[in-house]
Amino acid sequence: MAKIFMGLLVIGLALLAAIVSKKYQDLQAPGERPELDITAYWGPKLKEPYRENQAILPFDISVKPEVIADLKVQLSRPLKAQEPLEGVGFQYGFNAKELGKMVKYWRDIYLNKWSKREEYLKKFDHFQTEIQGLKIHFIHVKPNLEKNQKPKKVLPLLLMHGWPGTVRKFYDFIPLLTTPSDKSEYVFEVIAPSLPGYGWSQGSSKTGFGVAQMAVVMRNLMLRLGFEKFLIQGGDAGSAIGSNLAALFPENVLGYHSNMCMNSSPLGSIKLVLSSFFPSWFVDTEYADFYKGLGHFLGVVLEEMGYFHIQASKPDTIGNALIDNPVGLASYILEKFSTWTNTEYKGRSDGGLTQRFTYDQLLDNVMIYYVTNSITTSMRLYAEYATEDQFSSKVDSIPILAKAGCTRFRHEINHFPDSVLANKFLNLVHSTHHAEGGHFPAFEVPQQLYDDFINYVKKANF
Amino acid sequence: MKCLIVFGLIVAAFAALGGYGYLVFTDLVKPLPKPEFNDNTYWGPGEEKDYKPDTKIYEFKLDVPQAEIDDLRQQLNRTLKLTEPLDGIAFEYGFNTYALEQFVEYWREKYLTKWDERQELFNSLKQYTTEIQGLNIHYIHEKASEEAAARKHVYPVLLLHGWPGSVREFYDFIPMLTKDQNISDYAFDVVAPSLVGYGWSDPATRPGFNAAEMATVMRNLMLRLGHKQFFVQGGDWGSIIGSNLATLYPENVIGYHSNMCVLNSPLAILKGIYASFYPEKYLPSRFFVDHHFPVWEKYLELLKESGYFHIQATKPDTIGAALTSSPVGLASYILEKFQTCTNPGLQQDFGAIVTVFGLETVLDNLMVYYLTNSATTAARFYLENVSKTYRDLQLDRVQTPVPMGCARFRFDLPSVTDWQLRDKFPNLKHSMYFQQGSHFAALEMPAMLYNDFTIFVRKLGLHGEENI
Repeated sequence: MAKIFMGLLVIGLALLAAIVSKKYQDLQAPGERPELDITAYWGPKLKEPYRENQAILPFDISVKPEVIADLKVQLSRPLKAQEPLEGVGFQYGFNAKELGKMVKYWRDIYLNKWSKREEYLKKFDHFQTEIQGLKIHFIHVKPNLEKNQKPKKVLPLLLMHGWPGTVRKFYDFIPLLTTPSDKSEYVFEVIAPSLPGYGWSQGSSKTGFGVAQMAVVMRNLMLRLGFEKFLIQGGDAGSAIGSNLAALFPENVLGYHSNMCMNSSPLGSIKLVLSSFFPSWFVDTEYADFYKGLGHFLGVVLEEMGYFHIQASKPDTIGNALIDNPVGLASYILEKFSTWTNTEYKGRSDGGLTQRFTYDQLLDNVMIYYVTNSITTSMRLYAEYATEDQFSSKVDSIPILAKAGCTRFRHEINHFPDSVLANKFLNLVHSTHHAEGGHFPAFEVPQQLYDDFINYVKKANF
Repeated sequence: MKCLIVFGLIVAAFAALGGYGYLVFTDLVKPLPKPEFNDNTYWGPGEEKDYKPDTKIYEFKLDVPQAEIDDLRQQLNRTLKLTEPLDGIAFEYGFNTYALEQFVEYWREKYLTKWDERQELFNSLKQYTTEIQGLNIHYIHEKASEEAAARKHVYPVLLLHGWPGSVREFYDFIPMLTKDQNISDYAFDVVAPSLVGYGWSDPATRPGFNAAEMATVMRNLMLRLGHKQFFVQGGDWGSIIGSNLATLYPENVIGYHSNMCVLNSPLAILKGIYASFYPEKYLPSRFFVDHHFPVWEKYLELLKESGYFHIQATKPDTIGAALTSSPVGLASYILEKFQTCTNPGLQQDFGAIVTVFGLETVLDNLMVYYLTNSATTAARFYLENVSKTYRDLQLDRVQTPVPMGCARFRFDLPSVTDWQLRDKFPNLKHSMYFQQGSHFAALEMPAMLYNDFTIFVRKLGLHGEENI
C-alpha cells in the first residue's frame, strides 16, 4: 500500500517539476517583436492628410515678460498653505514653512534675475522639429574638439530625462560629456530632447501614446538628425523609454546605460518578488544593503507611489489642478527632489533640498513646467502606462542585445540586482554601485554619473 | 516499512501545518475586546497645562467679507491654461477640461454674483461653535419643530459628513428630520458638525488625530449639548466615525445608521472572498449581487478611483498646498468626485453633476473648502487613519451591542453583506438595498435616506412598536 502511495507521490512531483521547468523555459524565452507603426500620427485632428514638416529649426525658449510679471503677482498673494503639524518635517509631504521660504526666494530673488536664468538655459543650442505630428524640442551639443588635443572618438548620445525632470537636469552633465578629458578616449555629441508632452515638446492629442510609442518618436528624431546608430542614457521615464528603444530597434542602438535598469518581463517580475524575500540569494554580499527586501519594497510602494496612482488614473484632474498654480507646482514637483534624493530627508523640516541642490537649480526645473503648461500632458504618460495593452507587455519581454551598463545610486527608491535583470539585458558589460546619490544623479552628482558612464563606454569598447 | 515511515512523516508534516494554520486563522478572526481609550486628550495648540477650557456655546453666522468674494472672482477670471482633453475622451482621464471651464465660468458669473443668497441659505440653519478638548467645533443644531415635538417622540441625532463633503450635504435632509413628515412617529434634534479639520471646525495641530479621536470629540460634543444618548447617521468618513463611536461609547449610542457599510477586518475580508463564490446564498436577493460582486471588478474600480486616497494618505501637505493655492485646482479635484460618484457620471455624462445635484449645491460645498482653506487638514485625516497607531486599535474587530441599520445605494463604493456586518454588529436591525443612488445619499436622495433612517429607528421598538 505504502509503495503505491510513494509511487504516486513521486510521479506527482515529477510532473510538477516538468510543468514548472516548461513554464520557466517559456518565461525565459524572449518575446517577439510586435507590429509597430513607426509613422503613426499623434497630433491634433486635421482636415487634410498629414504631411510631416521635416525642417530642423532653431528654437527660442524666451519667456514673454508678461508671463514673468504675472507669476510675480501670483507669488505675491498670501500663502494659504496650512502650517505643518507640530514636530513634522516632510513626513506629511512638502512642509509649508519650507514652501513659504521657497516661494519668497522665487518671487524676491529668482524672478528678479530671471533674465540671467534664461540666459543660462540658453547656453546650449535649442532646436525643434516635427516628428509624427508632434513638435519635438531638443538640445544639441557637439563636442568641443580642440585642435591641439589628442583626437577623441565621437559617439552620438541620446539623453532622456524623466518625471518630474526636464532637460535642465543635464546642464552640468552635458559639458562633461562634450568636453574632451584625459579620463576617456571618447567624447560625445549629445541630443537631449524634452520628452513629448514635457517642457517645450508637444504632447500627443490621441490616447495610446505610451512609453513604447515615445521610444518610436525618439528613435525617429535621432534618424532625422542623421544618427543611424547611437548610445542611450536615461533615468526614470527616460530609462524606460530608452529600454523600449533598445529592445524595439536593436539596429539603431549602439549601447544603453541607465541609472534605473528594470526588467518588467514576467520572469523579471517573478524574480524581483523572489529576490525581495531572499535577497541574499540574488545579490553580491558587498552591496547587499542596496537591496532591502519585500517589506521595504512594499512599504516604499505604498508610501511613495501616491503620485503614480493618481497620475495613472486621473492625470487631467491633478494636471489641471497644478497648471497656472505655481505654488502647487513647486510643492508637488519639489517634494520628489527631497524624498527621492534621500528618503531620510523626510525627517527634516527643510526636506534636505539644499543639501544636494540649490534653489536656483530646483526653480529652473519648475519654471520649465510652469511656462510651458506641460504638467498635465507630462502626467498622461502614467495613464497610458496603466492601460498597458498587449503591445507594451510584449516589449517588456524583448531582450536588449546591445552592450548595456546599469548603475545604481544608493538612495534610489528601488534597485534590480543583476540576476533579476539577466533575461532582459543579455549583454550586461557594466554593473556598478555608488555609495551616494539618489534618483536624480545627473542633477545631483553629475561628475559621478559621467565617470560611471565613461567607465561603461570603455568596457563596451565600441 | 521505510515507505510507511516516510509517508507517515509527510502526513504528520501536513497535519502540523494544518494545525498551525488553524491556530493562526482562529487568532486572526476572533473578535477583540473594546480597547482602552482616553476620552479627554487635549488637541488644541500649545501645552495642555496652559489650556483654559471654555465650555460656552457661541452662535455662528457665516459672513464672508465682500473683498474675499471679489478676490475669488478675480482669480477665477484669469485666462485658463488648461490642457485640452485627448481626442474622444470625456472623463476617462480625470475631470474633463471643457467641463471645468464651464464650471469656472458659472462659478464666477452666476454663482458668486448672487453669493448673498447662498450665504443666506447657509445661515438658514442655526449654527454654533463650542470648544471640545481644545478644538473649536462648528456645528448645525436644529431642534425638532414645535409641531413635531408636540406629537412625536423626539430623539437627538448626530449627522456626520465625509470627504469631499461638508455640512452642506445635509441641508435638505435636516428639515425632514426636524419637521412633522406624517409618516413616522419620530422627529429629531439634529446636530451636524463640521469634522475636525473640515469646514469651520479647528484642525488638530499635532499628529495622531484619527477616526477614533474624531469619534471621541463628536461624542463629547453631544454630551456638551446635553445629549447623553443619541442616534448617529453617516456616510463616507461619517460612517466610519459613527462606527467607532458605537464601538467605543456604546452607552451613548441608541442606534447607528450608515449609508456606506464597510468593514475591513480579516474575517470580513475572508468572508467576502468566500461569499463571492456563492453570492446568492449570502444576499437577500439575486438582484443585489452586483452591489458586491464580482470582487475583482469592484477592486479594479476602486483602484481606478482611489488615487486621491493614496496621495492624501501619504502626502497630504503636498496636495493640500496645491489645492489651497488655486480655486480652479480645488474645483478640478473635488468636482471629479461629484462626477464619478453618480451613475450618469460613470457613463461619462457631461450633465451628471447638474442633473443629479445641481450646480449651486455643488458649488456651495466647494465654497466650504475654499473659504475655510481646509483642503490640507481634510487630507491629513487620511494619513492619520492609515497610520500604525490607528490600525493597531483594530476597531473593525471589536463588537458593539449598539443596534445598526445599513442602507446600500447601488452606485456607492462597495459595501459588505449582512453576513459580514453581523460579526461586528450582532444587533443588525435593518438592512436595505437601493438600486439607485450613490455616494452622496443625503444630497442626492434625502427623502429615501430619511425614509430608511426612520424605518430603522422604528425597528428598534423604543416605544413598543411591533417588529415590522
